[in-house]
Amino acid sequence: MAKDRLAGVLERYEAVIGLEIHTELTSLNSKMFCGCPVAFGGEPNTRVCPVCLGMPGALPVPNEAAVEATVLAGLALDCEIARFSQFHRKNYFYPDMPKNYQISQYDLPFCTNGRLDVEVGEGDAAYVTRIGITRIHLEEDTGKMIHVGGAEGRIAGADFSLVDFNRAGTPLIELVTEPDIRTPEEARRFAQTLRTIFLALGISDCSMEEGSMRVDANVSIRPRGASEFGTKAEVKNMNSFKALHDALAYEIVRQADLLDSGGRVVQETRHWDAGAKRTSALRSKEEAHDYRYFPEPDMVPFEFTDEWIESVRAKLPELPAARRDRYVSDLGLPKQDARLIADDVALSRFFEAAVQAAGASRAKPVANWVLGELSAHLNATGAAVDECGVSPAMLAELVVLVDDGVISGKQAKEVFAEMVVTGEMPGAIVERKGMRQVSDEAAIEAAVRKVLDENPAEVSSYRAGKTGLVGWFVGQVMREMRGQANPAVVNEVVRRLLEQ
Amino acid sequence: MAITEAEVRHVAMLARLALTDEQVQHLARELSSILGHIDEIKALDLAGVEPTAHAFPVRNVMRPDEVRPGLPRDLALANAPEARDGAFVIPRIVGAEEGA
Ligand SMILES: [Zn+2]
Repeated sequence: MAKDRLAGVLERYEAVIGLEIHTELTSLNSKMFCGCPVAFGGEPNTRVCPVCLGMPGALPVPNEAAVEATVLAGLALDCEIARFSQFHRKNYFYPDMPKNYQISQYDLPFCTNGRLDVEVGEGDAAYVTRIGITRIHLEEDTGKMIHVGGAEGRIAGADFSLVDFNRAGTPLIELVTEPDIRTPEEARRFAQTLRTIFLALGISDCSMEEGSMRVDANVSIRPRGASEFGTKAEVKNMNSFKALHDALAYEIVRQADLLDSGGRVVQETRHWDAGAKRTSALRSKEEAHDYRYFPEPDMVPFEFTDEWIESVRAKLPELPAARRDRYVSDLGLPKQDARLIADDVALSRFFEAAVQAAGASRAKPVANWVLGELSAHLNATGAAVDECGVSPAMLAELVVLVDDGVISGKQAKEVFAEMVVTGEMPGAIVERKGMRQVSDEAAIEAAVRKVLDENPAEVSSYRAGKTGLVGWFVGQVMREMRGQANPAVVNEVVRRLLEQ
Repeated sequence: MAITEAEVRHVAMLARLALTDEQVQHLARELSSILGHIDEIKALDLAGVEPTAHAFPVRNVMRPDEVRPGLPRDLALANAPEARDGAFVIPRIVGAEEGA
């Protein structure tokens, strides 16, 4: 299959990939040019007004939070921010676009010339590749169509279509990369890394399934060593990171097969079918790409001052890569653990609050609990970390109880399972259930002496060289103390008294 | 600069306008004379003159990110040639691309 053959193809050909990523600014309250709410789904045409329906005479006014979010994204990706910018009309006809033009940006986008360093691969095979970002601009999303009749809601063969404009006018940022990407894995890592950054900025929920983040790719191949680009195909409809990877792998192998058999690649748009695992050409009209851009006459231009740009820069939060490095250098976490936590804003916030409460010296056990029991709990329940029933203070107290030897690690897991259900603090659960682990050496020594006194034959055997009996003695002491003794301390005391 | 009848037909197709042959001839003449006027402007020496982005010397007009009431659905659909299940009904699209 395509994936198995990819490595062989990439020995002979170099793939040249550029991505075009559309992201809805789902964290905003209102649409791009009107006051309709931004939301997902809902009854058709219940979030519409004269502006987003494109009614004559309605005047669009840009949402300042959307402009700021776009500039924030540009700053996070080291872009240059335009001092002068404006919106343009992009003219084309499609029934999901009420005005027959989309308000977008053309030659004066808000952000240009950025870059993102992407880490690819794990362990010894890991490397960093810098991907150039050509531009980021702001525009409005289209409505949605439901095709009725025909086969499976596809447009081909539909009897008619229903149009819902709830999504129309949702603020949408379009990011275009330089053709700097060389493998499907680099493309996937770029998109994943970009997603963690947008999530950290809090500008979008970046859901590929719900379509709030949509990735299209331009792909071409050329013989290794060649400097000219080959003919590219545009691949669309990849609604997961895996689909992005698999579609690119398929497309690279397809183009190599074409060239190897003496054919040529046609410049066209191709549609990824995740079920059939293949791309296929879409019928399209060449003339549809004559967009006749012109400056949007309903809106005045933007002039951004250095002061304003710096005021936006001041709102940049710590980005995942910097946070991961801090967890490694300041808290001593292994790099992989640090990344797993740092990539997730909510998990990072939880982790840092728990470390604050438990003390920085306990960061490693806190991280282990966050990535272990807590993540398992989140996966099992599907709950968000902020609403999962476990607070940072609860987890911190649990870690301290284990670290101080009050309870064993095994008992801690029981307490965790209990506190998830009851919401009690771990200390209260330990008290209520009498789980307190006895580490007090005097109490343990009394129990050990009692066991030794009651079992003189075994003591003699041990002292005669049958040292394997130590485990049996520890077991007897643990039973004597109803399982609440600290096993490490019991072990030490048993050995000490037997050696006397 | 002259606009050919073929160019008029191309632009009319993009704008989804059905023009008669007479209209095409008429518009080719009219558009050519408009572009002739642009040619006169092009002949002016405008070195050092900034392009005009907008007739008003106003910048950065924006609105706060606040939700405002929109249109009730029955009003939104009131002028639709056809509506069904709360949506606008459009005739079948032949030969068009799949929406993204
Ligand atoms: Zn609206």
